[in-house]
Amino acid sequence: MTDIALVVDDSAVNRQLLGRHLAGIGIGVREAGDGRAALALLRELDGQVGVVLLDVVMPEMDGYETLEAIKADEELRHVPVIMISGVDELDSVVRCIRLGATDYLPKPFNPTILAARVRASMADKRVHDMELEHAAEQARLLETIERQKEELSRFLSPQVAALVSTPEGEALLAGHRREATALFADLRGFTTFSDQAEPEEVLNLLREYHAAMGALIVEHGGTLEHFAGDGMMVFFNDPVPQPDHVERAVRMAVAMRETFAVLSAKWARLGYELGLGIGIATGYATLGRIGFEGRYDYGMVGTAVIVASRLSSAAEADQILLNPRAHAAVEQLVAVEEVGALTLKGFARPMPTVNVTALNLAAATA
Amino acid sequence: MTDETPILDRSVVDELRDSVGGDEDFIADLVSTFVSEGRSHFAAMQAAADASDAAAIVRPAHTLKSSSAALGAMRLSAIAREIETAGRDGTTTGLDVRVTEARQVWEDTLKEMAGVGLIK
Repeated sequence: MTDIALVVDDSAVNRQLLGRHLAGIGIGVREAGDGRAALALLRELDGQVGVVLLDVVMPEMDGYETLEAIKADEELRHVPVIMISGVDELDSVVRCIRLGATDYLPKPFNPTILAARVRASMADKRVHDMELEHAAEQARLLETIERQKEELSRFLSPQVAALVSTPEGEALLAGHRREATALFADLRGFTTFSDQAEPEEVLNLLREYHAAMGALIVEHGGTLEHFAGDGMMVFFNDPVPQPDHVERAVRMAVAMRETFAVLSAKWARLGYELGLGIGIATGYATLGRIGFEGRYDYGMVGTAVIVASRLSSAAEADQILLNPRAHAAVEQLVAVEEVGALTLKGFARPMPTVNVTALNLAAATA
Repeated sequence: MTDETPILDRSVVDELRDSVGGDEDFIADLVSTFVSEGRSHFAAMQAAADASDAAAIVRPAHTLKSSSAALGAMRLSAIAREIETAGRDGTTTGLDVRVTEARQVWEDTLKEMAGVGLIK
């Protein structure tokens, strides 16, 4: 790419001689008789010139001016410049090195010295070009990573997306145990509705429902594990610790119920009878990356998850059922009604359960 | 001093031939460039000397100094350097004489070059 040497000398004899020597070592040559022509050629050859051999005394624009112009040009400044100079011109060589010339070549030309200096300068230029390319590549890579993260955060909970590519995140992904609160919500009457409605209607309704609930999940800092049709699972206190995780879950459930009331009133006018049932359970669980190579999710595994799922199934429309541990944590915050001991599938003993009727206003504003 | 300097330094000519692998066509080409370029340098130097323009004589003298040295024309190179230096110093007296001297050396140089087969 940068295998061309630009020879700038007003002496045609010198240009011819240098051109011959350079061609002899496999370097392409372009020639200019003065500095102005040299600058024009450099710009025209745009990046292909690997080294400039520059005479000092020239008409139009001499070596000093040319060198200064090259070094002042953002596009050209990295092209190495070797001064061509007679032995009686060493003062001017020093001046040129100060101006940014990389080396000098004494006249008369010694082909061996010429080859060595030109090759060294061209190698420097190539290293420089590679560094530039490398930096550009790095920038592109970073941009891609940022874009992927952004893309990822549209599919994952923002908290989980943030874990990706941080060392702390790696540790959390590997799996850990902590207390957490799981919330399940799904629709009553959805199966009947989806049997009767057109597929487009089903999808539109789900989109509306997901959009409304999704906004509340983000607002309350919940980690969405999944949306599946009409069902969703959200958990709290992980990966970001939330000391008030039970309260967050309950507040979100109440907000969901309120939001859902507006949606369901609209759907009712279209003839769809749909209700929202929510189950919340607090307990110790294992959290982290769950799945298999090719498809991993950030998930929560434990009894609390199963309890929340069962409670959500058992909930009637508009009910928010809590397990005893969740209830105990938010007793001051909520007004509840006893539902009694529910027999949940897979659990030997019936579980005392309450339904959240409202947030306790005094506590809620406290 | 100029007279002690060889008109044509044979060792430079030999090195030059070696460095291009004995490519006589290239050498002939190079010498013909030297001759035509030299003529225009002399014209420029003469014009500068006639006009007593010391500054204008510097560049052609400088270039002649350099290209003649490349071909081993050392006496011509030396006298061209003297003219260049005089020009840089702003000396106008005797410029004309020096250019005439240089022209004599130029003729001698071409004869010697023909003598060693550089000019056919």
